[in-house]
Amino acid sequence: MNAGQYWKNRLPFLCAQLLGMTALSVFLLINGNSRDVTAAILLVWLFALAVCMFCSFYVRKKRLERLLSLAEDLEEKYLIPEIIQKPAEAEEEVWHRLLKMAGRSMLEQIGEVKRERKEYREYIEQWIHEIKTPITAMQLLCENHRSDFTREILGELEKVSRYTEQTLYYARSGHTEKDYSVKPVRLEQVIHQSVTDNKYLLLKNQVSVEVGEFPYRVYSDEKWLRFILNQLIVNAVKYKSSEPVLKFSGEEAGDTVRLRVEDNGIGIDSQDLPRIFDKGFTGKNGRKVQNSTGLGLYLCRRLCEKLGMGIEAEPLEKGTVFILSFYRNDYIYQVQEQ
Amino acid sequence: MKKKIAVIEDDPVIQKELQTLLEGNGYETAAVTDFSNAADQVKQIDPHLVLLDIRLPGESGFSVCSRIRSFSRLPIIFVTSCNTDMDELNSIMLGGDAFITKPYHTAILLAKIDSLIKRVYPEEGTESLAWKGAVLHLESSRLEYEGRYAELTKNEVKILYYLFRHGGTICSRADIIEYLWDNQLYVDDNALSVNINRIREKLSGLGIRDFIRTKHRQGYTI
Repeated sequence: MNAGQYWKNRLPFLCAQLLGMTALSVFLLINGNSRDVTAAILLVWLFALAVCMFCSFYVRKKRLERLLSLAEDLEEKYLIPEIIQKPAEAEEEVWHRLLKMAGRSMLEQIGEVKRERKEYREYIEQWIHEIKTPITAMQLLCENHRSDFTREILGELEKVSRYTEQTLYYARSGHTEKDYSVKPVRLEQVIHQSVTDNKYLLLKNQVSVEVGEFPYRVYSDEKWLRFILNQLIVNAVKYKSSEPVLKFSGEEAGDTVRLRVEDNGIGIDSQDLPRIFDKGFTGKNGRKVQNSTGLGLYLCRRLCEKLGMGIEAEPLEKGTVFILSFYRNDYIYQVQEQ
Repeated sequence: MKKKIAVIEDDPVIQKELQTLLEGNGYETAAVTDFSNAADQVKQIDPHLVLLDIRLPGESGFSVCSRIRSFSRLPIIFVTSCNTDMDELNSIMLGGDAFITKPYHTAILLAKIDSLIKRVYPEEGTESLAWKGAVLHLESSRLEYEGRYAELTKNEVKILYYLFRHGGTICSRADIIEYLWDNQLYVDDNALSVNINRIREKLSGLGIRDFIRTKHRQGYTI
């Protein structure tokens, strides 16, 4: 509480007091009281006034400071009207009511927005499920009538389903906890699935794919992992150089299993490297290649965080390696053995 | 004996094309057309395996599944576009044997069907294919001709398997490469030529000449 401001607000009251004092002393002097008596009475008045004023200032200051510190400690500050003590003064009562009203209307607004967002997200998910039916139909039609023409369409369909998947995961990445099940996953199988997901892309760009030996089982969510790998594969193709090679290899390092996804593409500028997982960051490479959204790797990192995995990128002599690390948890094995 | 597969799918295009695909891969098919009593129709069709969509008009795929389970233990594969974990869990809890999400790779769908059918209806004898006197033994990865054998590599077995299955027709290089990729063998155009040449050498070693013929700009045929 600002002391200067406080006393300034009390100025009319003090003026009234002063007026009262003057009036009283004039009255006393006219009625023949001696100056000493008048001065003594005025002193007593002044003293009582000062004590009252300072006490009330101090008490108020304390009260307000406590309120402030209460609010500081509170994580959700909008709940403050619910927890402060009952207002002691008539004025405070009004402020308290105003505060409550404001809080309630804000909560209503937020509720509205949240509901709208939820409805929109549900609509998006619904839409994605519906669009998958015609995609599947087209895919089957093409597969049953193989020709160079349908092969082109299959390649395009692969893109369409990739974009729809990305949308789905973007819509869901905010609340993954509702949609993942961590199970033992055979890494090799997921890698093969991801390669198959991008078969036409890889064949068209004549990427030679090498999948190393993977005797590893990790605990993760297969669906999300596949999505992450798909992003890395698409990136490797997007930023390829001549005679592209994509290599998957695995290694154990202490209590982590690391999956290395190597490409021999154009590589990432060392200045850009620390920021490639940021949302919307496209960097030097993004300017070279069309339709860089800066979304793919951002989603990858977010999903990795949710799944408790590590993801990092390192430059190679030619190209880049992305390393996914899975933490082994001994507890899981112990529980299973029992 | 041909295995019969019942397709329960409400999208007419998918239903028809799925049947075409399965019939092209050596299965007999029957489609459920009346979704109000799908389970009864399955009973009448008496298939070896059911492909079941979750979202159906009227009854959901889950309840169809549990009703089928009340009279039969035949394998059921859920094919759906809803890929939430809840659906997957539900389908397993209700007795589904596999869960495939749309859009699926036909290769993966066929592989799932194949492995389920092999597991539920095991057949005696090893699998082998024959064409013009040459016999391909899949289990031992060998090619037999008039009592003589040649050992084959994984790639060679798959290439020959594809050619044997499509005996008499022309197989384009792109189709063969796609088939290999579906089987997790990432072979490019050059490597395919190398493999074909190696197979030809092995064939001539067995005394078969001109078994694999090259059709210019079209592909290979046996």
